[in-house]
Amino acid sequence: MKLRTIKYFFRESFTSLIRNRWMSLASIGAVASALIILGSFLLLSVNFDYILKDVESQVEITAYLEDSVDEADITKLNNGIAAIEGVKEIKFISKEEAIEEFKEQVGREILEGIENPLPNSFRIKVNDPHEVAAIAEKIQRFAGIDEVKYGKGIVEKLFNIIHWVRIIGMVIMAVFAAVSIFIISNTIRLTVFARRREINIMKYIGATDWFVRWPFLIEGMVLGLIGSSLAIGILAVAYNYLYIAVKINIPMIALLPIEQFYDYALGFLGIGMLIGAFGSSFSIKRFLNV
Amino acid sequence: MLIEMYGVTKIYPGGQVALKDINLKISKGEFVFIVGPSGAGKSTLIKLIFREEVPTRGQIFFAGKNISRLKRREVPYLRRRIGIVFQDFRLLPEKTVYENVAFAMEVVEASYKDIKRKVPQTLERVGLLHKANARPSELSGGEQQRVALARALVNNPDILVADEPTGNLDPDTSWDIMNYLDDINKRGTTIIVATHARELVDSMKKRVIQLEKGSLVRDEERGVYGK
Ligand SMILES: Nc1ncnc2c1ncn2[C@@H]1O[C@H](COP(=O)(O)OP(=O)(O)OP(=O)(O)O)[C@@H](O)[C@H]1O
Ligand SMILES: [Mg+2]
Repeated sequence: MKLRTIKYFFRESFTSLIRNRWMSLASIGAVASALIILGSFLLLSVNFDYILKDVESQVEITAYLEDSVDEADITKLNNGIAAIEGVKEIKFISKEEAIEEFKEQVGREILEGIENPLPNSFRIKVNDPHEVAAIAEKIQRFAGIDEVKYGKGIVEKLFNIIHWVRIIGMVIMAVFAAVSIFIISNTIRLTVFARRREINIMKYIGATDWFVRWPFLIEGMVLGLIGSSLAIGILAVAYNYLYIAVKINIPMIALLPIEQFYDYALGFLGIGMLIGAFGSSFSIKRFLNV
Repeated sequence: MLIEMYGVTKIYPGGQVALKDINLKISKGEFVFIVGPSGAGKSTLIKLIFREEVPTRGQIFFAGKNISRLKRREVPYLRRRIGIVFQDFRLLPEKTVYENVAFAMEVVEASYKDIKRKVPQTLERVGLLHKANARPSELSGGEQQRVALARALVNNPDILVADEPTGNLDPDTSWDIMNYLDDINKRGTTIIVATHARELVDSMKKRVIQLEKGSLVRDEERGVYGK
């Protein structure tokens, strides 16, 4: 394709963007709103993921020991559990340490004079939270292990929630992408309609189908691009506020750092452009018959 | 031979028979009038040449190539060899005269240099160089049709087809357009004109093809419009 032709395509698309400026603005606004909603869900699900990863990594297994287990067996058990595939960290907590910890939490005075009822235990961290249940079962099989706890149910529930958040997010994204495509396709349809004379003449003169198509495709992509840039800008400002507000008010929740937000921005521009291209090719196909 | 038609029949969807078994040859450099009453099939015949319509039966050759079953993506390249002029001029109102003609070259991806050279030259040929910066709405009907002529000519087509080019013009202006067409023809471009303009056809003494209800009923060198 000649440079001159490319220039022609851009000139045509920008002329028509400006000529139909109200429609262009309306569709940029519509695309931006759609993408802002889409982006909010994206951020929500990404953050949900991020927070859950954080929670997941804190899921640990506690294995309580029978009172009969002696010093030497404890060392053997320690080595045995540490050797299980997927175990990241194991820490021995003696009866005494456990009661000290408990006293910290509850208050010393209440427990004065009572014999220590707590058993010795191991605290185990695993590499992949998905394997918690399987590893817990393996630990249970060791002789001398009385009981294994790992927040059973909570882990499964968390995974379930992540799963659904992803599916719902995906569905909503698809819906809004479709809405954006529809809006852009309508705008381009108006442009095509406004320029039907010109298109008609072009075809009589001997323009190829692609020569006719390109300016509309570019127009759609530019609309999508401007719309998504706008959405990114607004989301970035809003997210920045949210990030700071959460950090100050709810410090235990760690939102995705703002810098990582920009990694998504590029993908967003891409989505915007794709939506624009889809929208216009839709109109071109249906209303141009080229 | 530039155009050959063998047993060409055109039946529109809906069953209207527009052309019946047309056999016809047009050589390079000819000037041909197509005449006949309204609905006889003149426009259909012209549309078959530039592949706006495809024949229901029969074969059409353009410069030796069978165009009756041309692939969609080949059509633009056929049209680049054909200049097309319509009764209603079909100029772009927001473009100047110059831009309207240049547009035809942009569309076929001509170089900037060629456009700058060819557009004024072609406008000169139709006597409109001095109106290059005017818009179509500032021109008379005849002038607008001359712009359309320039646009059809600017890419050096083998043939110029015109469907009632003077249909919207008064007799004097029609004469003017016909003289330009004659001039263009004398410089080597084949011309086919569908028309109702009886006096013009009679006085120009060109080949006349007459259609009646879709049939070719007369094909005469130096003919007249007919009864
Ligand atoms: N697109 C179409 N669909 C269906 N029928 C058509 C179509 N175009 C033309 N016809 C019919 O085909 C016949 C020939 O039409 P055509 O336009 O070729 O006639 P014409 O000789 O150009 O007439 P006019 O002098 O009025 O322009 C007419 O009966 C017309 O109604
Ligand atoms: Mg007609």
